[in-house]
Amino acid sequence: MTSLDTDTIAAVATPPGQGGIGIVRISGPRALAIGETLTGGGLQPRRASYREFVDSDAVIDRGIVLYFPKPNSFTGEDVVELQGHGGPVVLQMLLGATVGQGARLARPGEFTERAFVNDKLDLVQAEAVADLIASASVAAARGALRSLAGDFSKQVHEVDQAILKLRVYVEAAIDFPDEEVEFLEHGEVHRKLGGLLDGLAKLQRDGRQGVLLSQGITVALVGAPNVGKSSLFNRLTGEDTAIVTDIPGTTRDLLKVDLILDGLPVRLVDTAGLRKTTNPVELEGVRRAAGEASRADLVLEIRDLSVPAADPHDALRLPLATKRILVLNKTDLVSGAGSRSAADEVYISCLTGAGFDELKAAIKQQVGFAGEAATFSARRRHLVALQSTRVALERASAELAAKSPGEIIAEELKLAHLELGSITGEVTPDQLLGEIFSTFCIGK
Amino acid sequence: MLQHPENFDVIVIGGGHAGTEAALAAARTGASTLLLTQSIETIGQMSCNPAIGGIGKSHLVREIDALDGVMGRAADLAGIHFRVLNASKGPAVRATRAQADRALYKQAVRSFIEHQANLKVFQQTVVDLLVERERVRGVVTQMGLRCLAPTVVLTTGTFLGGKIHIGFANQPGGRAGDSPANALAERLRALPFRVGRLKTGTPPRIDGRSVDYTVMTEQPGDEPTPNLSFLPARHPRQVPCHITETNPTTHDIIAAALDRSPLFTGVIEGTGPRYCPSIEDKVVRFADRVRHQIFVEPEGLDTPELYPNGISTSLPFDAQIAFVRSIKGFERAHITRPGYAIEYDYFDPRDLELSMQTKVIGGLFFAGQINGTTGYEEAAAQGLLAGLNAARQVAGLQPWFPRRDEAYLGVMIDDLTNLGTNEPYRMFTSRAEFRLRLRQDNADQRLTPIGRELGLVGDERWRAYADKRTRLLDVKSRLERWRVDPGSDVAAVLQANCGAQINRATTFLECLKRPEVSVDKLPELLTGIDTDIVRQVETEVKYEGYIQRQDDEIAKIRRHERISLPGELDYRVVQGLSNELRQKLSDARPTSLARAARIPGMTPAALSVLLVHAKKLRASA
Repeated sequence: MTSLDTDTIAAVATPPGQGGIGIVRISGPRALAIGETLTGGGLQPRRASYREFVDSDAVIDRGIVLYFPKPNSFTGEDVVELQGHGGPVVLQMLLGATVGQGARLARPGEFTERAFVNDKLDLVQAEAVADLIASASVAAARGALRSLAGDFSKQVHEVDQAILKLRVYVEAAIDFPDEEVEFLEHGEVHRKLGGLLDGLAKLQRDGRQGVLLSQGITVALVGAPNVGKSSLFNRLTGEDTAIVTDIPGTTRDLLKVDLILDGLPVRLVDTAGLRKTTNPVELEGVRRAAGEASRADLVLEIRDLSVPAADPHDALRLPLATKRILVLNKTDLVSGAGSRSAADEVYISCLTGAGFDELKAAIKQQVGFAGEAATFSARRRHLVALQSTRVALERASAELAAKSPGEIIAEELKLAHLELGSITGEVTPDQLLGEIFSTFCIGK
Repeated sequence: MLQHPENFDVIVIGGGHAGTEAALAAARTGASTLLLTQSIETIGQMSCNPAIGGIGKSHLVREIDALDGVMGRAADLAGIHFRVLNASKGPAVRATRAQADRALYKQAVRSFIEHQANLKVFQQTVVDLLVERERVRGVVTQMGLRCLAPTVVLTTGTFLGGKIHIGFANQPGGRAGDSPANALAERLRALPFRVGRLKTGTPPRIDGRSVDYTVMTEQPGDEPTPNLSFLPARHPRQVPCHITETNPTTHDIIAAALDRSPLFTGVIEGTGPRYCPSIEDKVVRFADRVRHQIFVEPEGLDTPELYPNGISTSLPFDAQIAFVRSIKGFERAHITRPGYAIEYDYFDPRDLELSMQTKVIGGLFFAGQINGTTGYEEAAAQGLLAGLNAARQVAGLQPWFPRRDEAYLGVMIDDLTNLGTNEPYRMFTSRAEFRLRLRQDNADQRLTPIGRELGLVGDERWRAYADKRTRLLDVKSRLERWRVDPGSDVAAVLQANCGAQINRATTFLECLKRPEVSVDKLPELLTGIDTDIVRQVETEVKYEGYIQRQDDEIAKIRRHERISLPGELDYRVVQGLSNELRQKLSDARPTSLARAARIPGMTPAALSVLLVHAKKLRASA
């Protein structure tokens, strides 16, 4: 039996979350080529090399690369493993780089499936394979459902319907040219395609923000001097794994740290104390703090419980949409405080660590992070599908501009629909015909 | 019991479009073949509209023709009005339609039958099948005659359990007054086939002498007149068609008669085709429309009878007269035959193998409308395949059938046998996912060499094919060697006629790949080169990229096809499938992973599960 697919697949092979090491595994005929492109080439079979992992001239990470030629690999195909520093942000970037080089995101259990198909597992192990695929796909389906929740889902289905409608016109014009169907003018198809592409671009932007895939979320700490920003900063970074401690461009007024907060990638920004000042250096710090805070996904506004509330004029003027949590520090100095924490108001003590669990929970809740890796990878998959859909629609648009015949436009639209179908479910030719018959009065 | 003195290899029951192509195909491969028909006079009869071809359908005709079947040639000999459809939408969806003179068409088909070696015709109604140990042995006819053969192809159309409706009056019947083959229907019903019920309809026919053409829109045929067959043929005299339309008065009359419509009062249970609704359906479902087009098609050169395409109906006759006479040009129309709806049984085609052999009875093949399809072309294509495979079985050969990426025929039989159908199945180009490569112009290149190997293709067609192939290669290599330099005369013409800039030295063939360049705009450069041939070369080079892009997908499907799923697989015990998919798979019983993949609702994960399961079964076997 041959392998089901000849695609080259890639996935993060280590468990999600924090870990000292993270592995991206690539399997298939193009594994070596992709691995060499990302690590600089010259890979020797079964030899570990320490390399920079580079995507489009940017170093994503450094680590060990391993190459296992077929058939002596886990899957029985050419396999390349990139072993780097665990964090999900880096791993997702690395995985994205493999996709950029032509790999396809592996389906749940697909490496094991390939190993099985290529006789790398015995029958006893094989018994478990079906279960593994089944349970992995249940988890993936759950992740996909969560990724598809809310506005994202609505927008995806709007795009899906728009493509379907366009196809209904284009296909009806092809299969029923004799009918009195008011077919779309060339310009109308062009306009609709343009609208579709715009909608898709917005969807891609929103989709990326929705699960904070590319860079995680940015959390800015703001507050008057000496309310405990730095203590909070140190406690948060001290308790969690920092991936990068030095970020180029960091000023002494603006300290940034990337960390993983219960699986959620967070860029924490400590801002300069906010107060009225005439000192030009301090002014610059405040200006930066304001800028950083207004760009942040979430602002932690820190106050000192032990002193009277600061003048509200000192508070940052933030865009209304900016999510914020009021963090009331120094519960250790005020008796009876700390039991009233809510999603937008948390009582903590940087000294004792009281209230930090509640704070983390509040952060995750505010940014809508469910904390499960399945959602993460599902959304990644959805974004890849949206990108492929867009590429196909752009081709359709180009063909239209080149005045290619209708059947070519139809072909590109079909491919676009097929790509989106990996999220929304495929529309069969019969369903498409059904749409045509319910849209137009067809029939001699 | 009386027995026919001759033993045949293949018996074909039915002389319609499926039956004739089945009998001819079997006989062409050398099988001794018997065609049994209720009436020799009705061989090749067009029981519905007098047209062959159309979009998706002429693709099938071309494929039948490429395998040396007769439908295309008969249509060319009988065609009195030809049109090319979708001329501007691209070569792959371009199609040809012929209005055919019914009498000439029948005559042409009968002539092909009567001149075919190894083929005998006998007029008898078949009342029973001889079946022994789940294999067919022959048939029994009305007069008690036994005819023996190891294979039988059943192509009995709508004759099974046929019921005709005109208003509330209904009667058992086949098409157009033929008697229904109910005895055979009873016999077949006793076999373990899944049976469904479908419905279709026809419009009232009209005497052309009673209509006023001057108020209708004339629609002339195309010049030059295209051919359906790859072989040259001389067409009879050409005549125009006409177009008229319904109006609000027509719709009012129809609406007022709905309480006497068998369709709207629940008398008719069968499912009609969505793409061919009755006029009462159209009036109800698209109530905002104030007019519906009617194509007024001539039935023949020698008869004034007309086929008003677009007003099929099962309303009572008085309502038919009233609404017909409300239509422009039909004010004084005389109806020669009332419109009617017909309900009939069909056998679930999922009980068939891709060879068209039934899964239940060895040697028994079904083809045509009995499988839930509609249309002469769909029937003929199945017939050809069934006849061929019946003959191959007798000769001890493996069955042959085209894949989805090879022919519309392949798309159709895969759809039917894998997914079944719940309305009369008609071909549309949108059903063919690889339609860019399944063109009318290359049906011969796709199928004639295979047909020759299968023994279907005779010498005349083979020579014609070889000749065309030589010309294609010749033209292609000439265009490939034709250098086009910037600033040359040729470059100037390309710029002037097509707006194509030639910035560096290239070949003419390369120029043809550009979307703006078209051979039709360059007559002065291509004098002395066969237009059809150069057009086809142009299509081939222009579509090369799109077609190659599909190669990976096709290769993947072929790998999936090689992974077979056992017919007895119990999907209830396969872990990791949803209950819905278990049910669908149990109904469809896909024979391969590729076919499982085409079942609606199938997911990649479910396919993985099936793959693992199939391999496990094999390993433990």
